[in-house]
Amino acid sequence: MTEPLLRVQGLSMTFSRKSGFFSRVGEELRALNDLSFTINAGETLGIVGESGCGKSTLARCLLRLLTPTAGQIYFAGQDLLALPDETMRRMRQRMQIVLQNPFSSLSPRLNGFQLIAEPLRTHTTMSRKEMMDEVAALLAEVGLPSEFMSRHPHQLSGGQAQRIALARALALNPDFVILDEPTSALDVSVQAQIINLLIRLQKQRALTYLFITHDLGVIQHIGDRIAVMYLGKIVEETSSERIFANPQHPYTQALLSSTPLPDPSRSRQRIILPGTVPSAVDPPSGCSFHPRCAHVMDQCRTLYPAARQTSVGHHVSCHLYENGA
Amino acid sequence: MTLLAVENLHVQFSTPFGAVYALRGIDFELSKGEILGLVGETGCGKSVTGRSIIGLLDENAEVTQGRVRFENADLLQLSEADLREIRGNRIAMIFQDPAVALNPLFTIGQQIGDVLRAHGADLRSEQRERALQLLNDVGLPDPAQLVDVYPHQLSGGQQQRAMIAMCLAAEPDVIIADEPTTALDVTIQAQILDLLRMLQRDREISVILITHDLGIVAETCQQVVVLYAGRVVEKGSVETLFAQPQHPYTRGLLSALPRAGSRGRELNVISGTVPSGLERIKGCAFAPRCGFAMPRCHEQQPAFSAFGPKQQSACFLHEPLNHD
Ligand SMILES: Nc1ncnc2c1ncn2[C@@H]1O[C@H](COP(=O)(O)OP(=O)(O)OP(=O)(O)O)[C@@H](O)[C@H]1O
Ligand code: SF4
Ligand SMILES: [Mg+2]
Repeated sequence: MTEPLLRVQGLSMTFSRKSGFFSRVGEELRALNDLSFTINAGETLGIVGESGCGKSTLARCLLRLLTPTAGQIYFAGQDLLALPDETMRRMRQRMQIVLQNPFSSLSPRLNGFQLIAEPLRTHTTMSRKEMMDEVAALLAEVGLPSEFMSRHPHQLSGGQAQRIALARALALNPDFVILDEPTSALDVSVQAQIINLLIRLQKQRALTYLFITHDLGVIQHIGDRIAVMYLGKIVEETSSERIFANPQHPYTQALLSSTPLPDPSRSRQRIILPGTVPSAVDPPSGCSFHPRCAHVMDQCRTLYPAARQTSVGHHVSCHLYENGA
Repeated sequence: MTLLAVENLHVQFSTPFGAVYALRGIDFELSKGEILGLVGETGCGKSVTGRSIIGLLDENAEVTQGRVRFENADLLQLSEADLREIRGNRIAMIFQDPAVALNPLFTIGQQIGDVLRAHGADLRSEQRERALQLLNDVGLPDPAQLVDVYPHQLSGGQQQRAMIAMCLAAEPDVIIADEPTTALDVTIQAQILDLLRMLQRDREISVILITHDLGIVAETCQQVVVLYAGRVVEKGSVETLFAQPQHPYTRGLLSALPRAGSRGRELNVISGTVPSGLERIKGCAFAPRCGFAMPRCHEQQPAFSAFGPKQQSACFLHEPLNHD
């Protein structure tokens, strides 16, 4: 079997809050708690979960913008956390990220050409003429005419700005792109344009995506596999088809059932979860979902359920599936 | 029974760049005890419509035409004092960000108490009793404790519930909810939408639910009004409109949604973007993006055509060609 492009093992990230008005000194926030997963080359892994579940912290750890407190990250066979800074700098060219709000990631002072050419200037020895050609080609690839070279971010719509952000991310020809809620700020009609573009780019460039989202409709469309996170843990992970056809973790079931579908003829029993997502500073004992779970049993309150395989390629962390049920 | 009717409403804003034509003729009716969804993409005029109804428009706004009929009055003609009366008793509004609407300096109980006092509950003990009951009604856990906390001590979902409890204190007939769940997680959103459905069912409160999410409309509303660039393009009962959308824009929107079964194929897209509001639009506002646009679509505004008793769509495709 070929090595996956990305392999994450036992990844944990704990923030210790030294001070703060509302937090006690020495308080710890476990943003990521022992995550393990892989992504094969050319594949899209969706990470879904609600706010505060650790999705964006995960993205920042993978790019080594944060140093995880435990675990390993293997990218293209290399142990990222062990790489010297200079090697990591070069490695990072192969890993890019696109964020939810393109306006916050694009400097308002730069025009389209400067924004897209910036990574080329810092990482390559291209002449200005070569850069012009390259930027024009990248713009065409994301569906913008070359006159966008002279436009500044405030002259762009949300969808256009997201296309510029994509062109910039693609400039150094990465293998792996982290998409952190890339369409969440866009209107439905524009969202569809960007999703089509992402799929097209993935095919043409053999890209591997980690797609972070809270939108199950979007991830059902674009994801090959999906990992569901709750309070810093992956609670379920399987193929996109399977997670929607046969969700097993009670949290996944509630999440699917809570997502409004644009189909009024479909009457369904909604699972309305009580309460809110607890704080990662003081997570519940045992299975962190137990205070909201309708199926809670004694052992759920004390013991975190290990991930087990319920069928080939379907992993669930829940005591309900303990005996291969 | 029609409780509230918005008729031919035009609103414009004066800005340094010129006039923004935000609403260019909005028409719809809200019946007693129903949830009506106002849906559309950003900037189409959902919030301006909601705010026009209760007279909460920004300073630079001007209503240039139209009426808002509520019982025997035109709300747009009322004095500020009468409007305040309506806002306090009959029509309440809740917003996307409850933190803005709740006063950070007073406890939840004090704020609900104020509303109750304005409604004749003079005794403090009576106010507290009612406040506890209301907090319980909106599904907040442990009302006895929450009644004495400040808004910042509540989560976003709890704040939105507290906000709804405050609205209910005035026993309104209509609640206008402007994106009340957009800032919330899906599992919390499901709780709040469930609460709105319950209020409608048990108290016969009518709700205008403003949202950009067609899924929320499908699961929560009985009626839906689709806006595009400050006009209603299509409206009707949720069942018929989702099953048989007539307007090219509604059709485009519904088929642009990723969903079960769309996997592996290209999503339909609506090319281009919405107009800015700065230009006067002569014809159908959707014409520049519409795959079916004909010459007259750029010249004249299409009128509504009826599809059964419950659905209307404004598009020239529905009209015979002869009087072109
Ligand atoms: N105070 C104002 N001054 C100028 N223009 C305004 C003002 N308020 C609203 N507008 C404009 O009126 C139009 C309608 O705005 P509105 O806020 O109703 O949109 P919306 O449908 O609620 O959008 P969203 O989904 O983003 O909330 C927009 O073009 C907006 O820019
Ligand atoms: S009136 Fe014309 S432009 Fe407008 S939606 Fe109908 S066909 Fe398209
Ligand atoms: Mg709005």
